[in-house]
Amino acid sequence: MKKTDIGVVGFMYAVCILFLSMTLKLKKGAQTYPIFIISLLAALTTLYLIQMIVGAKKNGVTSGSEDFEGFLPSQFFPLLGMIIVYLVVMYFVGFYISTIAFMVLSLLYLKISKLKILITTIVLLLIVYCAFTMFLGVNLPTGLIFK
Amino acid sequence: MTGTLALMGAGFINALSLMNIIAMAAGVTIGIVIGCLPGLSAAMGVALLLPLTFTMEPSTGLIVLGAIYCGAIFGGSISAILIHTPGTPASAATAIEGYQLTLQGKAGKALGVSSVSSFFGGLLSCISLYFFAPILAKLAMKFGSPEYFWLSFFGLTIIAGVSSKSMVKGLISGALGLLISTIGMDPMMGVKRFMFGQSSLYEGINVTCALIGLFSMSQALILAEKKIKERKHATKFSDKMLPTGSEMKMLAPTIGRSWIIGNLIGLLPGAGASIACFLGYNTARQFSNHKEDFGHGAIEGVAGSEAANNAVTGGSLIPMLTLGIPGESVTAVLMGGLIIQGLTPGPDLFIGETAKMTYTFFAGFVLIQFLMLGIGLLGCRGFAQISRLSDAILIPAVSVLCVVGSFAIHKNFVDVVIMMIFGVLGYLIRKFDLNNAAVVLALILGPIGEKGLRRSLALSDGHIGILFSTPVCWVLIILCILGILSPIFMNKMEANALEKAGGDMPNETGDDPVLSSD
Repeated sequence: MKKTDIGVVGFMYAVCILFLSMTLKLKKGAQTYPIFIISLLAALTTLYLIQMIVGAKKNGVTSGSEDFEGFLPSQFFPLLGMIIVYLVVMYFVGFYISTIAFMVLSLLYLKISKLKILITTIVLLLIVYCAFTMFLGVNLPTGLIFK
Repeated sequence: MTGTLALMGAGFINALSLMNIIAMAAGVTIGIVIGCLPGLSAAMGVALLLPLTFTMEPSTGLIVLGAIYCGAIFGGSISAILIHTPGTPASAATAIEGYQLTLQGKAGKALGVSSVSSFFGGLLSCISLYFFAPILAKLAMKFGSPEYFWLSFFGLTIIAGVSSKSMVKGLISGALGLLISTIGMDPMMGVKRFMFGQSSLYEGINVTCALIGLFSMSQALILAEKKIKERKHATKFSDKMLPTGSEMKMLAPTIGRSWIIGNLIGLLPGAGASIACFLGYNTARQFSNHKEDFGHGAIEGVAGSEAANNAVTGGSLIPMLTLGIPGESVTAVLMGGLIIQGLTPGPDLFIGETAKMTYTFFAGFVLIQFLMLGIGLLGCRGFAQISRLSDAILIPAVSVLCVVGSFAIHKNFVDVVIMMIFGVLGYLIRKFDLNNAAVVLALILGPIGEKGLRRSLALSDGHIGILFSTPVCWVLIILCILGILSPIFMNKMEANALEKAGGDMPNETGDDPVLSSD
């Protein structure tokens, strides 16, 4: 058994409780199917919990850190943060400005040379413009500020 | 019979239009690029480019997606041969002999054999697509609501098949997907369910957004967590690529056997190209007159692996197109492509006007193989250089494409947020040994199963006996039981194939071979 699996089980039970609380507010006839699925998820999670306990008694408990071997928090979280900030910024200033900023900052952070950053950003924006704006006719977000 | 032949002929005429040829060439090229990049996978590529097919004719859109699929499966062999790093798990066995040939200065020959074998494997798989698809579709036409319920249930039992590491975790992933599929309007009572105050969730979670998040954004996050490594320089080669006549004579039986293996594996739900390549490789070794060459650069090994993994492509489309049951991740994404075009996978695809579209796609699938051969042989040197592209560039580039792709669906920012939520969810699912493919299958099949069940019960005034009322129901119930038991056989088959293959196993690929079947 891995310690990290406790989190998986906890998450699944939390999902069951959240959906059950919402289901109970629905009309009677509309409750049956979601309750069936929630029960299925809860039953499978309980089955896995039993497997975990049996496994723990037989083979002991491991930390589960092997799943995160080579994980670099100092690289992963800033990059994840940049992606989230990119989405927020895009909402306000639009696609092109936010994308240029995101590409430059993330590539600088990943220690890519300035010439490669320039080429990558231009090529990517060209691909997006040709494929989505010209070919599909999609007006990419202009941002709240410029509306 | 005459009708079918007429449809086949019309399909070829339509597929040979300039627009379709351009679409095929572009799809194959993009697919090969995605395939030869070790950080990316076929499912991820198809999901990422799905939004580009919205405005296309349904047949053209499907041809593009099919071309990306075939190109990616073949493209994986380029980096496997030149830098000993399979671009996709489907080429893991190719790396064993292919890289040995590269070390001996025969990289060109290895790439040539890989291209030719992939071509024949893919081309021959089209025969089974033409032959079996209409038969299965005719059978599916007799299905009513109870049968559709069991059919979707059978699809969900495949979840157990694609979850080799832990069956229970696979089923948990499926149940989670089913629960997510209930978001939106209740199909029978018109009640809003779990919409969190968002009117854009009225029709449920957009499957394409979920696909892009689960397969593409999660892959960018997977790449972001590890140290960025410099990849080896791709070996430059100048030897002759095309196999000689005597070599072709030697390879023909190997390709034939691998075609049969690949086709059968493709038809089996839950199995995929990563299993087929090892089985093809092992069979090539078993039947070879030069067993001593294996492990030291045997072209038969390359041919066995590559013909088998490309033969999977045609076979794997059959259950998805005829029954609406995707057996693994790439076909689940392709099914998303069909749904986007407003088409319902299943027997309806073989009736009336829609049949023309289906046969155009089939013909396109045949032509894709020829383009794959041409582009593969001519562009090998260029693709080899692309395979060195750093993950540092891929991470932000893939993230941007995920954002644009999900926005393009409804030109709605909520879709981007949904994609991002599924991206993080997909990342966590992969880290904790749950299964992205299972979530996707459940998202697609959940609404079909729910409608089938609730319509059946409405027709029978709530009597559950209707679900067991026809022989077809019972056949499907038996298939469901076999589906649940399938991981036992799959694990054994994969373990045997890996053990027999032996050799120096490369391990950096686009996906975990165990969890993904592309």
